[in-house]
Amino acid sequence: MAILSVSGLAISFGSNHVLKSVNFELNETEVLGVIGPNGAGKTVMLNILTGLLKPTAGSIVYMGADITGKSLYDRGRMGFGRTFQIPRPFEKLTAYENVMVGGIFGDGLSEKAAGSKASEILELIGLYPKAGVFAGKLGLLDRKRLEIGVALASNPKILLFDEVAGGLTESEVVEILNIVLKLKADGVSFIWIEHVLKTMLEGTDRVMCLAQGRDVVCGLPAEVLASKEVSEVYLGADEDE
Amino acid sequence: MKFNKPIKVAISVLILIVLLLMPKWGSDRFINIFILIFLYMSMGQMWNLLAGYAGLVSLGQQMFIGIGGYTVAVVCQSYNLPLWVGLIVAPFVCTLCALIISLPIFKMSGDFFTIGSWIVAEAMLLFFTNWSFVKYGFGFTISAGRVLTLTHRYIMALILGIGSVLVVYIALRTKFGLGIMAMRDNEGVSKVRGVKIYRTKLNCFLISAFITGLAGGAMHLFDGYIQPYAAFSIDWTVTMVFMVIIGGIGTIEGPILGAFIYVFLRQYLLNFPGVSMLIFGAIALIIILLAPKGIVGLLQDRTGFELFSVRRSIKAPKLPDKPESASQNT
Ligand SMILES: Nc1ncnc2c1ncn2[C@@H]1O[C@H](COP(=O)(O)OP(=O)(O)O)[C@@H](O)[C@H]1O
Ligand SMILES: [Mg+2]
Repeated sequence: MAILSVSGLAISFGSNHVLKSVNFELNETEVLGVIGPNGAGKTVMLNILTGLLKPTAGSIVYMGADITGKSLYDRGRMGFGRTFQIPRPFEKLTAYENVMVGGIFGDGLSEKAAGSKASEILELIGLYPKAGVFAGKLGLLDRKRLEIGVALASNPKILLFDEVAGGLTESEVVEILNIVLKLKADGVSFIWIEHVLKTMLEGTDRVMCLAQGRDVVCGLPAEVLASKEVSEVYLGADEDE
Repeated sequence: MKFNKPIKVAISVLILIVLLLMPKWGSDRFINIFILIFLYMSMGQMWNLLAGYAGLVSLGQQMFIGIGGYTVAVVCQSYNLPLWVGLIVAPFVCTLCALIISLPIFKMSGDFFTIGSWIVAEAMLLFFTNWSFVKYGFGFTISAGRVLTLTHRYIMALILGIGSVLVVYIALRTKFGLGIMAMRDNEGVSKVRGVKIYRTKLNCFLISAFITGLAGGAMHLFDGYIQPYAAFSIDWTVTMVFMVIIGGIGTIEGPILGAFIYVFLRQYLLNFPGVSMLIFGAIALIIILLAPKGIVGLLQDRTGFELFSVRRSIKAPKLPDKPESASQNT
């Protein structure tokens, strides 16, 4: 069953028509990869899904209800969690406190409940030994982990990842993949934007390619990555660079 | 330099005892200085709650000093009620005013709040100087405070000063406080994480109005006189900014230290009328250049010491018994 279905999603910034018509469905406990050249509008799509940006057209249906007009806050409480492409932790709070923010404000937990949940999550994401470290002092991998941890603390049904694996080494990516597998088993669905195609092949159930403001192709990862649409898009992008 | 909790508590209790007993051993002049320190401490603490934590740089805090003072004046002088009635009513009137003006000045961006708060304070000044009920710009005497001895005043100021520190400390230790600190670090992201920005900022503003109003009320009660140009002067806010900047913005200790420095400096600079503002300005400038986080911020960066830590630390899971201890039991 589809937990999320998006149709005709469009957004323009002045004359910059970033998304023209994006259509896809996300099934329960599915990992849907999203690829596309730089500037294709992947982050913009994620911002629309979480309610940070308002689409100029299209609809978002979540668990059977149209949520296109719902606020950022409402969507957070309904079960949307996200990470930022460039990790944005609360720098003068510790890793532990960062995760607590997710639990208290994203899920309405008491301080005590958020605290014990934060301990569990830090354990899961491998940050337990650094619980008391200020987030501003963490390295890139730890910041990326923390992004996942904070999002996770809000008890999401859908996790939206914006390039969590970008900039990480191969073994670090494996750690992230393991976390995703664990969460998937717990019933979480994913929309996972990534620029690195290899990660998509390993970590996702289906892949959608976003280009020229549209979902140009969507299907099994291996098929999509081998498709002529994707090679055209990426070749075209390469020529531009 | 690490202090554990029992030592911190012991130091705090000791300081509190010394402060409570001060009327027994301090000279009148000394006690008067401490009265000012505590009153200014509460004002600085509140400006810091706004600017250092909630990201609301207010230039209109003098309106709460003025309204607090005038409320005490009207309640105690015009209506002849006991002074404690004035001191109870004043903070509530200020909080109500803050709630009303928050509607227009919170709707827009942070800069608008800064300018908006200043404009509202100036408008209040104009209004009070043209209001016959409060005798226009002439101001009036508040005689209710005459019954207060120096010790009374000292204890009242002490409660206000220490109380303001505790209010901020306790607020930051609650869930609400975690939201404030997340908002301070990154407002946009805190919103994504579910912090209700408007409500959080409004609560900070209301708390600051309440306590600043109380301080304004006490200040004018002790002075025995209120006059709009002084009561609504932006100098109040300039002083708050000075104390917080040199002490250390975004720290609880900063405004405490700032109040001591400001009041002692002012006592000393009374001998140099005219150049005193210049000296204050120069000091602020030097501190901003050498230690942008203020004196306390600099010390904390160097030593990690916090007298009032608002950190939440992880509850360590129970470790399994070590084999040695198990064998000792048998
Ligand atoms: N808030 C915004 N206002 C105006 N233009 C934006 C905004 N956000 C993104 N854009 C534009 O949308 C386009 C897509 O950006 P983005 O979604 O970040 O691409 P990517 O697929 O690499 O994540 C870019 O051209 C960017 O300039
Ligand atoms: Mg992007």
